[in-house]
Amino acid sequence: MRESDKKALDRRNFLRAVGGVSTAAVAAASPIAASEAEAYDPGNDETKARYRETDHVKAFYRTNGYETLKK
Amino acid sequence: MARMKFLCDADRCIECNACVTACKNEHDVPWGINRRRVVTLNDGKPGERSISMACMHCTDAPCAAVCPVNCFYTTADAVVLHSKDLCIGCGYCFYACPFGAPQYPRVGNFGSRGKMDKCTYCAGGPEADMSEAEYVKYGRNRLAEGKLPLCAEMCSTKALLAGDGDIIAQIYKERVVKRGYGSGAWGWKTAYRETVAI
Repeated sequence: MRESDKKALDRRNFLRAVGGVSTAAVAAASPIAASEAEAYDPGNDETKARYRETDHVKAFYRTNGYETLKK
Repeated sequence: MARMKFLCDADRCIECNACVTACKNEHDVPWGINRRRVVTLNDGKPGERSISMACMHCTDAPCAAVCPVNCFYTTADAVVLHSKDLCIGCGYCFYACPFGAPQYPRVGNFGSRGKMDKCTYCAGGPEADMSEAEYVKYGRNRLAEGKLPLCAEMCSTKALLAGDGDIIAQIYKERVVKRGYGSGAWGWKTAYRETVAI
């Protein structure tokens, strides 16, 4: 192995070691790691049905059907 | 419980794009985003077909399945909505949607596109019904006002139907029974002759 190759390997090992240590430190210090992920839970108010068969909606159904033309 | 659906009668759609314009106007949709689009097949040829497309509010929505932050939710009347506060603009829903419904205000890479925007079935978002905050993020909440999506309500040829899936399916069946195969539109055979393949 040439001298230049050896230097390159050392540099890579150094970065790998630094990377490993810093990741472990961040994981230990981070509050995120301690808590579990929670999915978004929309409340009942958000998911309630808003559709109502009002006179306005009934008029839409009536004017779109052929039955209207017969009357 | 009624399930909200869109149904486009392709035999009636004349590609006027009024549904697109009405939607943009009603919800103050920003430049670059069309919540609804009209797609034409075999454009310019006899028997061409146009269909108005937007979010189809899927029962098992693929956008919701791939969202990494789980910002989608389905209401009791089967409308698929999302929270722009949670959206990170990753673009996964855009790739998952078979209808091209999710769109972004900016062109960019992961996270730089801005919050995703799509058809809300004129049902707003997670904010309080008919509030200013809801209007700014999602547009008008016509469903809470006792109305239906404006695109369908103002369709001049009554091609686009919206509302309770069972009722609009019945209306469409009625039309097909009445007119038979093909459009049945006045002047169709004069324009395209008897031999046109539909």
